[in-house]
Amino acid sequence: MPQFFLAVLIILFTVAAYLVMMKVYQRFPYPFFLPVLTTTVLIIVLLAAFHISYNGYMVGGQWISSLLGPAVVALAYPLYKQRHVLLQYGFPILGGVLVGLFSGMISGLLFAEVLGVDRDLILSIIPKSITTPVAIQIATGIGGVPSMTVVFVMIAGFSGVLLGPMVLKWMRIRSSLGKGIAFGSASHALGTSKAFEYGELAVSMSSVSMTLSAVLGSLFGPIVVWLFQI
Amino acid sequence: MKAIKVVLQIVILYVFSVLGETIHQLFHIPIPGSIIGLVLMLLCLIFNILPVKMIENGAGFLLSFLPLLFIPAMTGVINYPSLFSGSGAVLLFIVVLSTIVTMAAAGIASQLLETRANKRKEKKACRNFFSQS
Repeated sequence: MPQFFLAVLIILFTVAAYLVMMKVYQRFPYPFFLPVLTTTVLIIVLLAAFHISYNGYMVGGQWISSLLGPAVVALAYPLYKQRHVLLQYGFPILGGVLVGLFSGMISGLLFAEVLGVDRDLILSIIPKSITTPVAIQIATGIGGVPSMTVVFVMIAGFSGVLLGPMVLKWMRIRSSLGKGIAFGSASHALGTSKAFEYGELAVSMSSVSMTLSAVLGSLFGPIVVWLFQI
Repeated sequence: MKAIKVVLQIVILYVFSVLGETIHQLFHIPIPGSIIGLVLMLLCLIFNILPVKMIENGAGFLLSFLPLLFIPAMTGVINYPSLFSGSGAVLLFIVVLSTIVTMAAAGIASQLLETRANKRKEKKACRNFFSQS
């Protein structure tokens, strides 16, 4: 029974901390004040200060994580709403997403291999361009470390937001469609929020690419691992 | 009333996720169960087996709180203190570089395919124009 109360307490605390951090972010809207970052840092600091193990936190945390499955299913909703966009630009979207997906997974794998990164970390890097809830599942499936994958997904999101405009300029990607697909394929939801600066078409392209890249990534992730025999 | 609706709709999403997980385990499909659930949900919506009204509030609610859901997983980095030392910098470098490559590749490929598709449309339009004259 005390386990149960502990779990409820942890859940309530996490949700409350997140809501407070959301207020903080509204006050200071900088990327490094994103609630997911500040809340995680706060929890880690508290766990370290009170000598609580990660397993101890997960007594409650696992219940929050268990909503990731339905959240992935929920991605069907935006995809359904944008089915017309997908049908209209089917070929460029599918082509762009597939090219982005493979270059993302393979370049991460090769760079990591060359720099002598451990195997379980290489496997955690592979799904980094895919939206977090799905990336966690892919990492678990191919034998990576899900917590590390979450961090890599965040880094992919931030670097896309910060460096994306420069990359697009260098590569002469001028169409809204190309920009949207680039952001969605490389930097998932964070990239999609950046795509708002390039107009409505870029946003819907980015969000469709993000979801498509998640679906296809979960299919091709294990295949890439198998192909490269890591 | 709205809260009950949202909870019930999340239950529907949960059922699809569990269904996907069951299919994943029964048939040993290497795709995560929740993605199988997503595809099933999409098919149900497209073929009008499930009206979109039955899930839109629940899905919208879950997606707006999505970042909250991966805080517990992210907290797991507490078990990897090496991340914050030299090896962390190498990993950071790899992920940033690979993100740039991904972005450039996806953008170039889609822009190329877009111009090609547009050209084909123009050609078709031209042909139609000439055949009419």
